[in-house]
Amino acid sequence: MKILFTSTGSEWSSKIDPRFGRAEYLLIYDTEKDELISTDNRSVNGKAHGAGTATAQKVFDLSPDVIITGNGPGENAARVLQHLNPKIFINAQGLSVKDAYEKYSAGDLSQLPLS
Amino acid sequence: MDSIREIVVLSGKGGTGKTSVASSLAYLAGKEAILADCDVDASNLHLIMGPDIIKKELFYGGEVAQIDIETCIQCGKCKEVCRFDAISFSAGVHTIDNLSCEGCGYCSRVCPTGAITMMPRLSGEFYISGIRNGSQMSHAKLFAGGENSGKLVATVKKNAYRMAKERGCDYLITDGAPGIGCPVVSSLSGAKVALLVTEPTMSALHDLKRVLFVVRRFNAIPLLVINKSDINEAVSEEIKKFAKSEKIEHLANIPFNTSFVESMGKARIVAEENQFLKGIFESIWEKAKEVADSSVQN
Repeated sequence: MKILFTSTGSEWSSKIDPRFGRAEYLLIYDTEKDELISTDNRSVNGKAHGAGTATAQKVFDLSPDVIITGNGPGENAARVLQHLNPKIFINAQGLSVKDAYEKYSAGDLSQLPLS
Repeated sequence: MDSIREIVVLSGKGGTGKTSVASSLAYLAGKEAILADCDVDASNLHLIMGPDIIKKELFYGGEVAQIDIETCIQCGKCKEVCRFDAISFSAGVHTIDNLSCEGCGYCSRVCPTGAITMMPRLSGEFYISGIRNGSQMSHAKLFAGGENSGKLVATVKKNAYRMAKERGCDYLITDGAPGIGCPVVSSLSGAKVALLVTEPTMSALHDLKRVLFVVRRFNAIPLLVINKSDINEAVSEEIKKFAKSEKIEHLANIPFNTSFVESMGKARIVAEENQFLKGIFESIWEKAKEVADSSVQN
């Protein structure tokens, strides 16, 4: 299973980025291989408009089963993600990626319905 | 970013009193909060906060086409495809009007010699300033033709969060942009509470519904203030009913008061000019803080 985190850095100790579209990094944790891969997303942050859909496109290509983020994707980004249909967990801002993963594993993060 | 609670002031419709509310809350909060002006298209918060600029930074947003005259063969293909009439031909050369160029990049794509490059556009300045209440504010100014964007708001907020952290402030008060577009979406990221300022007019109610949709989408807790509440009691009642059905906490009514305009004319904050209104703003600020605090514990 692949879990994607919106993050402010590339490490387990990095903080979750509350932003979806303008998240600085996208971290993917592959639970089977037990590896953490980071994608630098700061080029999207350079866009004046359309950051949400640009990041959603990237996420689509990375095709995670689960997304852990802060405020959650906006309307347009959510429409892109619907085609992937991942489980989205929100309100993880302020936590480190590691803590967010543990909270998720314990079932303590709230899930956002994708509708 | 963990413990800083952000309260974003939004309205949907412009002119309902967002900036007057945001400045009054900041005045009452003092050193407890950093103030961020994210309504950069029509920024006016700085006019009443009397900022003393500590740091200035350049802002590059979007792109602008640039023709290299050495490589250009004057074929005119760029001029043909430009939808914004930004390219003109005179005295044997093609030139780009920076103000008309929207940065779409079509010209650069069709240029057979690669003479057109898309360059980052210098579109404004960011500031970090000391303000009259002893705290600081993060704000920006756009040059003529510049446009507010998610990117600009993201940077104003990033600066504000850094300032709040450095100064040990518990709160961030953000004056949001009107509407529900990119800058509003960007101003909601990281926010715990959205303080919605509305007025009893049909258009304000209509826009309130639209902004509420966005606020909910980003999981911020909406709170409601009805400004100029007594100018149309019937619509005021309708808004209250709407808030009740949507389970939005209605914090206060602010009756119409000429102090709003008068203090603005003196470049003063409403709460520092009018004791009666100051009392209302105090209760709004206390409630907003309470909701923002409890949102952290959950």
